[in-house]
Amino acid sequence: MVTHRMIVAAAVCAAAIAAKPHGVCAHAFLDHASPAVGSSVPTAPTAVTMWFTQQLEPAFTTATVIDKSGNNVDSGPAAVDTQNPTELRVPLKPLPAGTYTVTWHALSVDTHTTQGHFNFEVAGR
Amino acid sequence: MESFLIAARAVHYASSISLAGVFAFISFVAIPEISPRLGQRLSMLAWASLVLAVLSGGAWLVFVAAQMSGQPVAATVSQGLVAIVLQRTRFGQVWMVRAVLAVILAALLSLPRGWRGRLWNWGGLAFAAGLLASLAWAGHGGATPGRPGDLHLAADMLHLLAAGAWVGSLIPLALFLAGAWQNADPGARTLRRVVTRYSVLAATSVGVLFAGGLANTWFLAGSTPALIGTDYGRLLLAKVAIFVTMVTIGSVNLLRMLPRLAPTAAEGAPRQRAALSHLRRNALVEAGLGLAVLGIVAVLGILPPGLHTEPGWPLPFRLELAALEPAAIAALAIFAALAVICAIIGVATAAAGRYRAMAAAWASLIICVAAGVFTARPAIAPAYPTSFYAPAEPYSAPSVAQGARLYTESCAVCHGANGKGDGPAAQVSPIRPADLTAPHLFAHTPGDLFWWVSHGKANGAMPGFAAVMSPADRWDVINFVRARAAGVLSQKLGPEIATTAAPAVPDFAFETQNGQQTLHRLLRNGPVLLVLCEAPPSAARLAQLDAVQRGSGAAPLRVIVVDLAAQAMSRAETAPSPPPVAISPDVTATLKLFRTPADGPETDLMLDRAGNVRARWATGKGGVPDAETLAKDAYMAAQIPASPENHAGHIH
Ligand code: HEC
Repeated sequence: MVTHRMIVAAAVCAAAIAAKPHGVCAHAFLDHASPAVGSSVPTAPTAVTMWFTQQLEPAFTTATVIDKSGNNVDSGPAAVDTQNPTELRVPLKPLPAGTYTVTWHALSVDTHTTQGHFNFEVAGR
Repeated sequence: MESFLIAARAVHYASSISLAGVFAFISFVAIPEISPRLGQRLSMLAWASLVLAVLSGGAWLVFVAAQMSGQPVAATVSQGLVAIVLQRTRFGQVWMVRAVLAVILAALLSLPRGWRGRLWNWGGLAFAAGLLASLAWAGHGGATPGRPGDLHLAADMLHLLAAGAWVGSLIPLALFLAGAWQNADPGARTLRRVVTRYSVLAATSVGVLFAGGLANTWFLAGSTPALIGTDYGRLLLAKVAIFVTMVTIGSVNLLRMLPRLAPTAAEGAPRQRAALSHLRRNALVEAGLGLAVLGIVAVLGILPPGLHTEPGWPLPFRLELAALEPAAIAALAIFAALAVICAIIGVATAAAGRYRAMAAAWASLIICVAAGVFTARPAIAPAYPTSFYAPAEPYSAPSVAQGARLYTESCAVCHGANGKGDGPAAQVSPIRPADLTAPHLFAHTPGDLFWWVSHGKANGAMPGFAAVMSPADRWDVINFVRARAAGVLSQKLGPEIATTAAPAVPDFAFETQNGQQTLHRLLRNGPVLLVLCEAPPSAARLAQLDAVQRGSGAAPLRVIVVDLAAQAMSRAETAPSPPPVAISPDVTATLKLFRTPADGPETDLMLDRAGNVRARWATGKGGVPDAETLAKDAYMAAQIPASPENHAGHIH
């Protein structure tokens, strides 16, 4: 009787495992950003938005944006989107033409921290 | 602090598994056969496990809070950061639920014996299983977004539960066997029944662990280089090795000892007692190995998976399976399967004491391996420690443009401005500098190129640049060299969709009326037609391309029109559709690598979903395609799977 129950359990397990998807990853890495990493935009954006490979913890995820001389140009703290917890947004002050650096620290919901930075350029008209 | 976190995790895994194991043992293995004495001992084991689980769980929480906030442990506690973690992170919420489960379990364990019936057993099992399975949220499986994440989570939970059922019930089994040994009290039939039931439980769990572990190894480690080249992968292999040892000890002993538990009258009790103590000792050895596995698990959970770290390749060669004929690959698979079968037979016959059969099995195994090596010979290529590094700079226009500047500075003297190997210094070089536009370049991984650019090649005929260029600079120059070679290779393509693609066009960002877009994101929707123009395209051509994009062909085709001569980068507000997109000078320079002067005013590239060039047209070489051709080709390109055709930089 025990055996019978276990065979059913084993079948369920096997099915769940066979259905396991490709490309699972841990730790939140930057998937893409807007403005795109390293890109040049003609007009100043009002925010930088980043999309990560994992869901983020809002309480411990931050990002800052600085200009060439190291001044902060973000106009508020970075916020994780409530609908889509993989999306992080930093509002920006009006930006003059120049190169800017975004630095992010992410905590994914499995308690792992990652960080990184990238540049983008405002070309100006 | 990291080591404290690992220790807390290891103790917590072990105690949660032990707790679940006690209830699994009571419910699945020994319900009617539990003597009051054994019941008492199991109760004590459960209490000890629960207390340890609560203490180590608390420690885990504090250390994680410290890690999340980057503060020292003392400050984490005094500043109330633990409370923030508990209330505002998913980890904290899971921990609160688990605390409730622990309280319920404590209440169950406090019930007097008279109240404990079947319901108590199953209830305890359910709550202990919940306490164990909910650990999956604290592991790598918990954070993947969407449905794949749910599946990963479910698989991890099953993995934990199977570990609990098998490893967790080893100590209860040892306690049971010790009781039987001391007072020879359960009869031989009971003994056999319990041990047999335990075997069924263990075998089922091992099956689940094995299948799940295999899948997990593959998905998290990603590839062979990641498996043998990263700490994560090596620890995983160590875990698998210990697991296999445990299974071998367990199964071999059961096969040998089970018959001896019910001795014939002639053999008498001493033989049974010897078997009992043997079984008990092996259960304890297995439990010890299980603890070692949990230690490894505790470390694995805080390491980034192999997929995301650079694997150092330990061997001087690698297998390039793509270089083999399909028949040879099939033969390799057959040899591998035969080798596995021989190994299993070898172990089984050794356990059964049939040494001749064993020798035959091992000899066949050696023959299989030799045949495999012989078959794989053409695929063996030289390799370097960095061969499997993923480019640290993405294969994209900003990196390529930066690489072009560095190339002119450092490489053009030998390799020539156009990469043909005809720079001014080539005359005096003992070996002709390589032609960096030859298709041969793509026979090497980006990591191979990284090794040569860092450490030189051909006894210094090509110098190493590790001392003068940062790793990022070296990746930039490699991205440039690869992009230029891809551009040259794409010129060999004609108007027919090619089965072997030219390597990919680097990713780039561009401006549309709706804001910024990138090539990679556009490719997620399907194939893309990249139209490169030297002058503003005519309104008629734009209208034609627009029809293609809107056309209700069998597969959607997105069109990007780029005017490479446009001076300023400005967003087109009102323009014909599809309007030429605006791009930055970096992107212009990168895309020019995919044109030649002979092309005339317009070059069209059909990109499959991996960004590889599949077909090419030019005004000066047979003319540009009409809407009908494009619709047909878009359909064919859409059928091509999106897996990258070459090593062109995909970074995680
Ligand atoms: C002093 C001359 C010299 C300079 C400077 C130089 N190389 Fe080389 N390079 C060579 C020679 C010679 C070879 C051919 C070695 C061989 O055939 O084994 C070579 C080979 C290579 C190869 C191997 C190609 C293949 O398919 O086997 C790569 C890649 C390469 N060089 C890239 C670079 C890059 C990138 C730079 C600039 C950072 C650079 N080289 C600078 C002389 C040079």
